[in-house]
Amino acid sequence: MMRLAFRNLFQNKARLVISVGGVSLALLLILSLDAIFSGVEQQITAYINYSGADIFVAQSSVRNMHMASSSLPVTLIEEVKVIPGVEAVTPILYLSNMVVIGDERNLAYILGLPEDALMGGAWQVSAGSAQPHPGEAIIDRNIAEKSNAGLGDEVEILGRKFKVAGLSEGTASLVNSVAFISLADFAALRGSADTISFLLIRVESGVDPTDVVEQIEEEVDGVTVQTREAFAAQESRVVKDMGTDVITIMNLVGFLIGLAVMALTVYTATLSRRKEFGVLKALGARNAHLYKAVLGQALFSVILGFGVGLGFSLLLSAVIPRLGLNLALVISWGSLLKVGSISMVIAGFSALLPIRQIAGLDPAMVFRGK
Amino acid sequence: MLLARRNLFQDKTRLALSVGGVALAVMLILLLNGFLAGMNQQISSYLIYSPGSIIVAQRGVRNLLGATSLLPGGAEDKAEMVDGVTEAIPILSQFVILDLHGKKQPAYLIGYDPERGGGPWEIASGREPQTDREIILDRVLAKRHDLLIGDVFEVMGQDFTIVGLSEDTTSWMTSFFFIKKSAAEELLRAPGATSFLLVTLNEEAVLDDVQIRLNDLPGVNALTKTETAANDISLFAKVFSAPLKLMVGIAFLVGTLIVGMVIYAATIERQREYGVLRAIGASNRMFYQVVLTQAVFAALTGSLAGVLLTYGAAQWIMAARPQFLIALEPRSTGWALLGGLAMALAAAFFPARVVARLAPAEVFRK
Repeated sequence: MMRLAFRNLFQNKARLVISVGGVSLALLLILSLDAIFSGVEQQITAYINYSGADIFVAQSSVRNMHMASSSLPVTLIEEVKVIPGVEAVTPILYLSNMVVIGDERNLAYILGLPEDALMGGAWQVSAGSAQPHPGEAIIDRNIAEKSNAGLGDEVEILGRKFKVAGLSEGTASLVNSVAFISLADFAALRGSADTISFLLIRVESGVDPTDVVEQIEEEVDGVTVQTREAFAAQESRVVKDMGTDVITIMNLVGFLIGLAVMALTVYTATLSRRKEFGVLKALGARNAHLYKAVLGQALFSVILGFGVGLGFSLLLSAVIPRLGLNLALVISWGSLLKVGSISMVIAGFSALLPIRQIAGLDPAMVFRGK
Repeated sequence: MLLARRNLFQDKTRLALSVGGVALAVMLILLLNGFLAGMNQQISSYLIYSPGSIIVAQRGVRNLLGATSLLPGGAEDKAEMVDGVTEAIPILSQFVILDLHGKKQPAYLIGYDPERGGGPWEIASGREPQTDREIILDRVLAKRHDLLIGDVFEVMGQDFTIVGLSEDTTSWMTSFFFIKKSAAEELLRAPGATSFLLVTLNEEAVLDDVQIRLNDLPGVNALTKTETAANDISLFAKVFSAPLKLMVGIAFLVGTLIVGMVIYAATIERQREYGVLRAIGASNRMFYQVVLTQAVFAALTGSLAGVLLTYGAAQWIMAARPQFLIALEPRSTGWALLGGLAMALAAAFFPARVVARLAPAEVFRK
């Protein structure tokens, strides 16, 4: 019966292409949306992951950077420096603002870095310097290229002109980019040198960062202290939690579309083979055998559709970053498992209609031409 | 026409599946556009309902949301002295991430002076904050997290008592919440700081002239509320347009494939009849008409069903998840119907080619 399913499926190539295409597009819809959110999660945590810090200190109850605000008294730097296990401390100032190049306005994390910052700077620089001096800015290369700007050109940040002194790599996402200016310029533009946003801490070699986290929490009031990994996990949860509802709704629509396409394909394929099924029944084939054939056909189509959908998604994830869209598609194992399960459900449901059709099939009626 | 209709209605289940498939594809397109339109409305809600007609921000800042603004000291007094200005209401605002029931919830904090304005425009229940330890939460946000008036709510390590619940201050992305400006200054460790001024003009003043005069003040950027709202919308549209276009493109292709498959199956099934018609002299044009009529009917019926389905689905989504606003605009509906027509034209292409190449002798030999 599986051979019959296989032949039924491959007998009409155009129908096979359409059905596999339809299912793969519906699955692509689910896969690509998941991939977009996973991509943003990965992009958004890049700064934290590449900061070089083992520990992040923020204002009490502030557990991430994106869309958050943190203010710490500048006196905290010295308090933290003397805690055992702390090797280096880098204070940074941070807020969301625009990098303006000509008419182009790009949303960015603006980061103020102290002179010779040990942590928190651009981790990969394709041209120029990684350390911004007063009056200078390090901006993302893609953002600069989009506006035909380069080293030495002027950009506007926080209402002031800065000279581009470096172009960084991997610092742009679908949501925003990262731009670095000096801590002194940042403080002057904010009009206050009494506060900083975050403290980035490197621990001494051989020291467990979680021990230092506990130590800081014990000795310093009004702060939230997290290891880099915990801080990055909190950051990616912002994207995940914001996207949950949208993803659920879109997954449901994608599932229904996939189901409609698949049901239509298996139904039309069974319908066109009605006579043959009638003959098989007349020859003594049991309903269960015929059901297997229909289910097998649905399963083959969905597996093929899944493969093609995955192929398309991988292709998109390779092509899109080259288009300069700052959109990264990351296909996770969790997403594959989810789409795989959805595919199986689609195959099962889409076989229901034809199965009913076969069950009610009377061989004598078929021979009579009905 | 009769042939096309009979062909299409001969198998009602197939027709229903095809119409359903197109309807779902159209629904997806409309819902995506509705989400975007709703989001745009929600993004501008504060600007629509807050007092004044001009927003004064820090120089270089052209948005209310998305960018942090900090005005130079004394900006409020200077703005109020500008000819044509009646009042400049200061607010201190900032995005914050709240942790609610283990979930991250972005929220937009507005610190305002209840006696001057700039706070919630509609209070569903309760009152405005009177002390620095009182807060007004969005009604939908509070309901989603079982928060009631009188409950204590923590923001950035500081406890606040909920004294009021505001209406129409939420979106799927973020919710507004309101505290006194002095409380916001303390929370953000920015004493005396102001993010924006909501500027009200006197009746005789000309908007453009006052805007120019305000822009002459040092370190500030004055924009009309319409401009600020447009900047916010374009900022968020920039983020969402690429994924949205990708989704709409996929939905369109799926719809086209569904119609194509149905018409193709119907055409192949009737191949023998078409062969007979050809043998008795039917022209290619007639065949094209038959195929196209079927495709247009399936696609347009599906599109219309999709539009109706969208209205139902939108109501259901908004009831189940009140933070979502799905704004269905007539223009989008028009585009969806046109999209359905485009699907039909694209889908008819392949079956039409099959019929055109049909040789009567071949059919009789099969």
